[in-house]
Amino acid sequence: MKRILDVSALTIRFGGLTAIDNFSMHIDEGEFVGIIGPNGAGKTTFFNSLTGNVTPASGSVNYCGTSLIGKIPSRISQMGISRTFQNIRIFPKMTVLENVCIPLHSKPTYGLFPAVLGLKSAKAEDERIRDEALSYLERLGIGEYRDYEAGTLPYGLQRRLEIARALAAHPTLLLLDEPAAGMNNDECRELVELLKKIHRECKLTVMLIEHHMDVIQPLCDRLYVLNLGALLREGKPGEVLSDPEVVRAYLGERRKRK
Amino acid sequence: MYIQSVIVTICTNVISVVGLALLTGYTGMFSLGHAGFMCIGAYTAVLTHLHLGIPYLLALLLGGLTAGLVGLIIGYPTLRNRLRGDYFAICMMGFGTVVRLIINNMNNPIVKGSTGISKIPQLTTLWSALFITAALVFFMWNFVHSQFGKNCLAVQQQEVAAEMMGVDIVKTKLISLVISAFYCGIAGALLAFWIQYISPNNFTDTKSNDFLATLVTGGTNSITGPVLAAALITTMLEYLRFLANWRLVIYGLLYVVIMRFRPEGLMGYREFSFRGTLRFFRELPARLKGIREKVTGRKGGV
Repeated sequence: MKRILDVSALTIRFGGLTAIDNFSMHIDEGEFVGIIGPNGAGKTTFFNSLTGNVTPASGSVNYCGTSLIGKIPSRISQMGISRTFQNIRIFPKMTVLENVCIPLHSKPTYGLFPAVLGLKSAKAEDERIRDEALSYLERLGIGEYRDYEAGTLPYGLQRRLEIARALAAHPTLLLLDEPAAGMNNDECRELVELLKKIHRECKLTVMLIEHHMDVIQPLCDRLYVLNLGALLREGKPGEVLSDPEVVRAYLGERRKRK
Repeated sequence: MYIQSVIVTICTNVISVVGLALLTGYTGMFSLGHAGFMCIGAYTAVLTHLHLGIPYLLALLLGGLTAGLVGLIIGYPTLRNRLRGDYFAICMMGFGTVVRLIINNMNNPIVKGSTGISKIPQLTTLWSALFITAALVFFMWNFVHSQFGKNCLAVQQQEVAAEMMGVDIVKTKLISLVISAFYCGIAGALLAFWIQYISPNNFTDTKSNDFLATLVTGGTNSITGPVLAAALITTMLEYLRFLANWRLVIYGLLYVVIMRFRPEGLMGYREFSFRGTLRFFRELPARLKGIREKVTGRKGGV
């Protein structure tokens, strides 16, 4: 199986704080991998380093054989890594449909002159993109909200919109940062079914950060547990979640002072 | 003749403000120095026309292009280094001042420093001004509704997400800066060939501030809003001339009132349409009632 992502000895520092400490991991094509750990373990920082928002102090990140270090986020996105955000980051004043159109034309598909002159070819191109965006909205079950202002949608639908937008970027690797945050049990179950369907239909490789174990367990093939920036355990969900070390990290133990 | 003069002034203000609307309203970057681009456009057009014999329309275009090029030169290092918000606005203010001072001190027989250039042939006519303005507004309308414009909006509303969705932030900001500079350059050139006299002091910071104020009055995420605002404010200032300096007080008060009661500007996030205007007047009585209740603090006797 093809290796999609290979991270080795990654270290990230913010001033004196080591947010990620010598972390290595990998994902193969088609895998569904979970990253768990208590708050402040460095999970989101890890995502940020993959997408180019944070520059690592040392270590290497290889995506399909190319290093991601030093690449800007828009370039990384075009290489096929897409993500959602823990604190929702939709475009609030745009319509739902326009939100999903953005990744489809982040590199405009026509030149400046057709745009300025309002040529028919440009209009047709816009129409094509709107149709494609709509297909993503429908896949996520929010097609009927296409003309709503995105900022006015309820929380759960905004999360779905973020996933639709991330899919529209045509990713190979999808990073989901706490997609179930703030959802109740029913909504979590719905989300699990949805993610299963997307993973299967879009032939994606997915990396998921989540605290809800009933989302993690049915979805993930493998888990990485981070604690205080370092790798604590790696393995199948069943084994990892019953590991006493992991339980202790989650249920709390005083942070050891060196 | 007087009316013509007012209309041409409106045209130049509309062009500048529409240019600024792209940068500030759509892309979300404030600039306090766009008069600098007007100045560059005006001087380039006039000098190339007088000394190189470049025909009028081509001179206008050249003025716009030079302003755009200068925008590119000033924009690349600032945007590359992620200068944003207030810092970018102040940087642009510095740029506007620098342009004015450089020209002020170029005391050679061609540029004539602070004396300014007089006896410029009046080549701008009412119709050429109207036509050029209409064309530029039409182009801008298409631009902001195209993929380019949507990307600008995305950058304004959620920069981190826009970048993560593949939008090249630096490039998008640079395009909108260059286009807005181009618009201001054309406006400056158009004005120069109408008033027949330019000096660096025609393009002070006050002018830049006026553009920004007009834009905010009109509504930042709209093209028709700023067009309307530029027309209304220019006309108002002209017809209040008999009040001498007091008109500036009224001008200031107008902004205070707008910021207090309609912070999103005249049009806000919408565009002007006749159907919308009809609806507005139909709903006006209900709205006024609402305002009266808000002011008196009472709602239906409670």
